[in-house]
Amino acid sequence: MKRGSAAAPEPILAARGITKRFPGVLALDDVDLDVYPGEIHAVLGQNGAGKTTLMNILFGLVQPDEGTLEVFGRRVRFRSPHDALTHGIGMVHQTRRLVSAHTVLENIVLGHPRVRGVLNLRAARTEVETLGNRYGFTVDLGARVWQLSEGERQWVEILKALYRGARILILDEPTSALTPPEVKILLAGLQGLVRGQGITVILVTHKLPIVMSASHRVTVLRSGKVVVRLKTAEATEEILVHHMVGRDVAFRSTDRALPRGRPLLEAEQLAAFNDKGLLALRGVSFSLREGEVLGVAGVTGNGQEELAQVLAGLRPAASGSVRFDGQDITRLSPLQRWQRGIGYVPAERSEVASIAAFSLVENITLNYHFDPAFTRRGVLDDAGLERLTQRILSAYNVKAPHQHTRAQHLSGGNLQKLILGRVLSRRPRFLIAHLPTHGLDVEATAFVRASLLDARAAGAAVLLVSEDLDEILSLSDWVAPIYEGRFGAVLSREEADAETVGAMMAGSLLKGARGQ
Amino acid sequence: MKLGRYELTLEPRPALPPFHAVLTAVVAILLALAFSSVLFLSAETNIFTAYRAVFSYAFFNSHGLLATVHRSIFLLFCTYAFLVPLRAGLWNIGLPGQVYAGGLAGFAVPFVLGAPQVRALPPDLLIVLMMVAAATAGAAVGGFAGVLRARFQVNEILVTMMLNSIIFWLVAYMIKEGGPFMSATGEGESFGLPVPLHAPLLLGVPFTALLALGAAVLLDPLFAKTALGYRIRAFGESPAAARYGGIIPMALSLVVFLLGGAFAGLAGYHYFAAVPGVYKIPGNYGYYGDLGFYGIICALIARGSSLGAVPIVVLFAGLSLGARFAQGELRLPFGVDYALLGLLMITFVASHVLYRFRFAWRRIPPEALPHVSAELPQE
Repeated sequence: MKRGSAAAPEPILAARGITKRFPGVLALDDVDLDVYPGEIHAVLGQNGAGKTTLMNILFGLVQPDEGTLEVFGRRVRFRSPHDALTHGIGMVHQTRRLVSAHTVLENIVLGHPRVRGVLNLRAARTEVETLGNRYGFTVDLGARVWQLSEGERQWVEILKALYRGARILILDEPTSALTPPEVKILLAGLQGLVRGQGITVILVTHKLPIVMSASHRVTVLRSGKVVVRLKTAEATEEILVHHMVGRDVAFRSTDRALPRGRPLLEAEQLAAFNDKGLLALRGVSFSLREGEVLGVAGVTGNGQEELAQVLAGLRPAASGSVRFDGQDITRLSPLQRWQRGIGYVPAERSEVASIAAFSLVENITLNYHFDPAFTRRGVLDDAGLERLTQRILSAYNVKAPHQHTRAQHLSGGNLQKLILGRVLSRRPRFLIAHLPTHGLDVEATAFVRASLLDARAAGAAVLLVSEDLDEILSLSDWVAPIYEGRFGAVLSREEADAETVGAMMAGSLLKGARGQ
Repeated sequence: MKLGRYELTLEPRPALPPFHAVLTAVVAILLALAFSSVLFLSAETNIFTAYRAVFSYAFFNSHGLLATVHRSIFLLFCTYAFLVPLRAGLWNIGLPGQVYAGGLAGFAVPFVLGAPQVRALPPDLLIVLMMVAAATAGAAVGGFAGVLRARFQVNEILVTMMLNSIIFWLVAYMIKEGGPFMSATGEGESFGLPVPLHAPLLLGVPFTALLALGAAVLLDPLFAKTALGYRIRAFGESPAAARYGGIIPMALSLVVFLLGGAFAGLAGYHYFAAVPGVYKIPGNYGYYGDLGFYGIICALIARGSSLGAVPIVVLFAGLSLGARFAQGELRLPFGVDYALLGLLMITFVASHVLYRFRFAWRRIPPEALPHVSAELPQE
């Protein structure tokens, strides 16, 4: 297979002049997209660039205001995903849409247009097996979905789309929940599909390494417009960043010359149950000084969420203790912790850290309604809160029409900057930042990282929980790989190299943890 | 929906100007009245005669107007009993039970003190005591559900519905089935309150009207301006975010159910003690609290606004009385009054879609229309 598509001049899927307006937003502005048969076509762009809207249009979830679609040379108009599927377009969404208590086979067959009334699982099994063998799919069809890893679940979704006859696969941010080895397997598998089976893949992402290693062509979107179309072979990461962002971005990393302060936080043998009642955090110990960052590196679901919540007071510790500034705070409420200077930036931005239907001012109030400086005899100081909101919006570069906009109208990056700005405006002495840059675009990521480093420089101790090894390594003074509820080790930054930490994140080399 | 070359879709609406909201409500009322014309027509009644009977009794007849005012006060308290927990995302379906408990506590004050004490103490003090007792009893019943909800995650809808039943039978025992509150004649009602303990009237209207209107004016700013109101709204929008922000779910659930229960208790005081001065419940035990449930509807239609609830409550109170009157006057079939209120609820609830969505027309491009074959199918 040659890179590019010089041999196939006719696009298999062509979008012409697609325009979509949402109230107050021009999401897509006269976008053209040409996808050629048998290629992996990357659609690259920052949050809010219009990638997802464009894909939703291709899959029939959203109707464009203007523009036309051609699939296999025929003019089409999709009124629903069902129409898209009958034209051979399948989509794998960013969030998994599988029934976790059902088997792989049941999930694949579920909702297939041919299944009406009686389900002939035996016949379906043979069919799916044949299909699976053809595509080199190795998951046990009888396994329950909850037993599978995130990478395997993704393959179930892909096979499900293929079983429905998809010849063009749209994958929306497929690598966002995968470990580095799983990403490798996924990309190799996709290349196999393209090379061996003539499937065409549209890969939606904002991750440059993915684009560079897997795609044949790339279309870059910025603010709803196509800025450039390139053959990947002719592109470099620098060129793509430049087009995606509109200028060059530099990431800051930790300044190791800064002095560290006195001991602030001491966690001893912390353990906690998850929501299912299973012991998810199994004895974690660490200590932090002022002006230090501890990076907890791990794949989501290894006890990080429980650790962050126990430290924030939102989940009781099953055992162990936390001392903050010499005092035992293990049993303090979230409010008492806020008042003592512990700040928390949760991973769930729109479910926990903000309230979608509330205005920006009301969202800022979430960390201030108990603050005597902003209440007088139980009445909130509206004017003061508005001034505070204005300060946070400008200091943290939050792009919003005005401060009474509802939080639901902010993009992911702007919402995160608002949340981070709110928490940091309380000048926390200890900051818990859980996946602070997850899903953010390059610019917002750089901004959030810089803000964390500013907090560190101002003397705060920071617990950074992240899946992104580069992020951990560039920001942390200490690195703790977490696996199945235990720290593999607490390494100083000098000892922590990507290979060691990566191996511990995946559960190997866990000498220290076994001893506990 | 597809109509030839055009299609009609519902699209999300970013914001709604107040004028538009009021207009939508007025259209919903007119639509409900138009629909209920069918009811009158089916009874072979002139619709204008029917509507004149309904409205003239409810709002332009001294007798009917007073009844409308009484019922409005009661319904307003019931509305707030539901509205306060609703703002915290909790459903106080059990407000009838709290109403009954409030009535019971109100009557308990003179009963416990005994006749000599009641004569000796100033009636104003006794009236205040009765109201405090009623509010406290309602709050206690409501708070019970609040604690169960907050501490043990027991569904507040189930708990309050079951409490309704328990309290209803307690009331039945106390005033009808041999309990201590029975009247001397044992006619299925409680002892009567002495005349000085009847609610003082201002311009012919019981003073409880002032309390109800005061709450209407004060509740909206409570939610909009105070820290407590903020916490209630935050908890209502997202309990997880509220907890993150330092709000204690236990305390908050308790506060809103105590407040809501207190309003329901006041409703009980007003309905039984303030005006008739005697505690009566329907003789056949067949139903209870149906009137209190209109409070739920009014709170939902007012979308949580205490001031917005006032016109809606007055409309429901007036129409329920006017339609009942017209039913007797014009010999309409039984249940016309409930049907009218039911239609009004349906149009109000349906019109709520228009607060969040608007209709949009769109031309379908010709290539998307289904291709019509020019050839005859071959058989």
